[in-house]
Amino acid sequence: MATSLSTSANEASVNALVAATEKRFGGAGIEISTKKHAGGRHNHSYLTMTVPAQHLKSLAKWLKHEQNIDLCSLITGVHWPAKAPEQEWEVVYHLVRTTVRNPPVVEGSQTVGLRVDYNALPVSQTPLEIEIHVLLPSDSPVVDTVEDIWPSASWNEKETWDLVGIEFSGHQNLHRVLLPADTPVGYHPLQKQHKIRYHEFNEMYDDPQGFGRKPIDKDRVK
Amino acid sequence: MWITMGPQHPMTHGLWTLRVKVDGEIVTDSEPELGFIHRGVEKICESRDFTQITPYCDRLCYVSANTWAQAYVYAAEDLLEVEVPERAEYIRLIAVEIQRIASHLMWLGAYTPDVGNLTVFLYCWRDREMFVDLLQELGGSRLHYNFPRIGGVKRDLPIGFAQRARAKINIFFDRLREYERMLDESTIFLIRTQDIGCTKAEDLIAHGVSGPNLRAGGVNYDIRQANPYSVYEELDWEPAVESPSIKGGDSYDRYRVRMEEMRQSANMVLEALDKIPGGAETHHAPDDPAILAKAPLRAPEGASSMHRFEDSRGEAAFHIIGGGEQRGKYPYRISIRSPMFITIPYVTKVLIGHKIADIPAIFGSFDPCIGETDR
Amino acid sequence: MAEDDQNFTTFNSRGLVDVVAGVTDEALKATKLKQFIGVLAGRLFNWGQRKSLYPLHLGIKCCAIEMGASAGPRFDAERFGVFFRSTPRQCDVMLVNGPISKKFADPIVRLWEQMPEPKWCIAMGECAISGGPYFQSYNVLEGVDTLIPVDVYIPGCPPRPEALIDGFAKLRQKIMMIGTGKPEASGEGPILVGED
Repeated sequence: MATSLSTSANEASVNALVAATEKRFGGAGIEISTKKHAGGRHNHSYLTMTVPAQHLKSLAKWLKHEQNIDLCSLITGVHWPAKAPEQEWEVVYHLVRTTVRNPPVVEGSQTVGLRVDYNALPVSQTPLEIEIHVLLPSDSPVVDTVEDIWPSASWNEKETWDLVGIEFSGHQNLHRVLLPADTPVGYHPLQKQHKIRYHEFNEMYDDPQGFGRKPIDKDRVK
Repeated sequence: MWITMGPQHPMTHGLWTLRVKVDGEIVTDSEPELGFIHRGVEKICESRDFTQITPYCDRLCYVSANTWAQAYVYAAEDLLEVEVPERAEYIRLIAVEIQRIASHLMWLGAYTPDVGNLTVFLYCWRDREMFVDLLQELGGSRLHYNFPRIGGVKRDLPIGFAQRARAKINIFFDRLREYERMLDESTIFLIRTQDIGCTKAEDLIAHGVSGPNLRAGGVNYDIRQANPYSVYEELDWEPAVESPSIKGGDSYDRYRVRMEEMRQSANMVLEALDKIPGGAETHHAPDDPAILAKAPLRAPEGASSMHRFEDSRGEAAFHIIGGGEQRGKYPYRISIRSPMFITIPYVTKVLIGHKIADIPAIFGSFDPCIGETDR
Repeated sequence: MAEDDQNFTTFNSRGLVDVVAGVTDEALKATKLKQFIGVLAGRLFNWGQRKSLYPLHLGIKCCAIEMGASAGPRFDAERFGVFFRSTPRQCDVMLVNGPISKKFADPIVRLWEQMPEPKWCIAMGECAISGGPYFQSYNVLEGVDTLIPVDVYIPGCPPRPEALIDGFAKLRQKIMMIGTGKPEASGEGPILVGED
């Protein structure tokens, strides 16, 4: 049978990381909590942290080097115009501790593939998921880059800047990656003030492409 | 000198530009340009119901549509706190694993012409038609099925599906052995793929690569085991891992991992058809609670969920924040993690030091799919 | 290049060709052979064009998989003379099979202009016809016919390979009608597969 991660091993590793983080970063204004996957058959927990922007870099370095959080999976940027002016921008970092190591070299030149039993690993090396939320004020949506810690963050940060508009200071090469290169400066489509085409349903009856609207449809909402 | 392998190119398997700087025949630098099919799916989904988003996720990676739709549905079920009946989980697993076989066959059919073997292209498309027919019975269409629903599946296994699936998979095992023999005994294929594009496991994970590309580096990391979901632990299987050489996992290892994964997926489908609760021959109506649970329509403000999924190409993940327009019927933000968006810039670094003729052999072995990259 | 009236003694091959062509032209017109050759050659070229349509190796999105499946062993499109070429210089037909984003608008017009006449365009799938499910997007154009003239529309998301082969058949009929030179054929609008 496949040896997937059991709920108890997952709980143990999450609690261990919570304790370690509170010990190390106790009074720095970091709020830590655990959440569970609520749907499906496996209710595994994961860690959620809310971090002030100035502590992000030291927390990230500590997680990578001391706690083996080696995969930065996704960086999400969210625009909350309702929470202006203190918390208008949010950056969410999704990090994972994997158990990936280079396989050992044996028998001279050939290495052997690694077979892992996740439930037999020590608690500080069990697979684990983390979410870090950073809230930024409206007048300066800038946060430190983490691309020197996790190289996979580099393109994620480019995309977040391109679509949402959050800047990452220290990034080597922040450029338009999904939108065309000649998009006007300052246009970031995932901000809430930009609406999609035909956002108001009535617009579909305004004949942008010349479909004839019948007089019986006057003042009707789709 | 910079060479542009432009958006319209027979090798690039998708619409993107690869610019390489060459010094004679050796590549010294390279840079990708993505975004030619950026559709703004994340923005459009902020004005769609949760059930209306499933077809958009089918079209993210069009080669392996079922895995992406299910990745989204698991995340939506986390958000709306829905529990799925067990029979529905088995049906979803069968659909995902058949889709994985179809996706890897498509990869093989697109990769082998790049290294010079045109016969396998036609063989793979012929075999892919077998599995696409099975998926058409389940989902209704050849390519985009809109198959999973939040809380279950669209409809039950059709009558006679198990018998047809078993027959086709038995044929497929023989064919798989034939292709492996054909390619492993072909000196040209071995010369073109061995020791080309070597990657070490720690580099791969630092750069965010996951899935078969990571397992070719000798590491047994599979999201179906590390962050478990669905009923994978009730089946007897092992992730397909290859022991690499001392320089790291090369293109030949990535090819071997995918062939082994096809075999594992086929075995999983056969086993799931035996173990499905209620038997594979019973057929429930589409709204039966045995295959579809009731799901709430609205997600409250402040709710968010994140779910990872083992897609054919790596780790797919959806981060959904609830509480959007229409009092929570639409999501506020949906963020999609695409494995290929992270892998393609890494592969452009792997290219450095190889010849121009090795570019298709390396890039094809990483299995790029641009639909999910550009979203 | 020297002017014609300045160099009487150099051998000007362009002039020789003009003279010979002029004489032959007059002779043919006199015997009504020119009209006969015109009709025959026109019919021959038309037969050649419609029996061997070479589409471009352009795969934008999901419909490209169905395009590949139609070239595969089950729905063999090659038996109809359809053979995919990688370079636009050698193609007659451009199959647009996906949404056109703003970034790709310029390359696709450039590909269209690189194709030599006579050329046709087939819009395959909903995204190419009108933007498809992404018609509300900020980055997708509403149909490829905002950029280039389309001859055949094939609806579907994605259309089955049989529908694509039917689209080629309808394009062949359209080319045949152009060849006959009937006045009502030249003004015909684009064809929609499935509307009969």
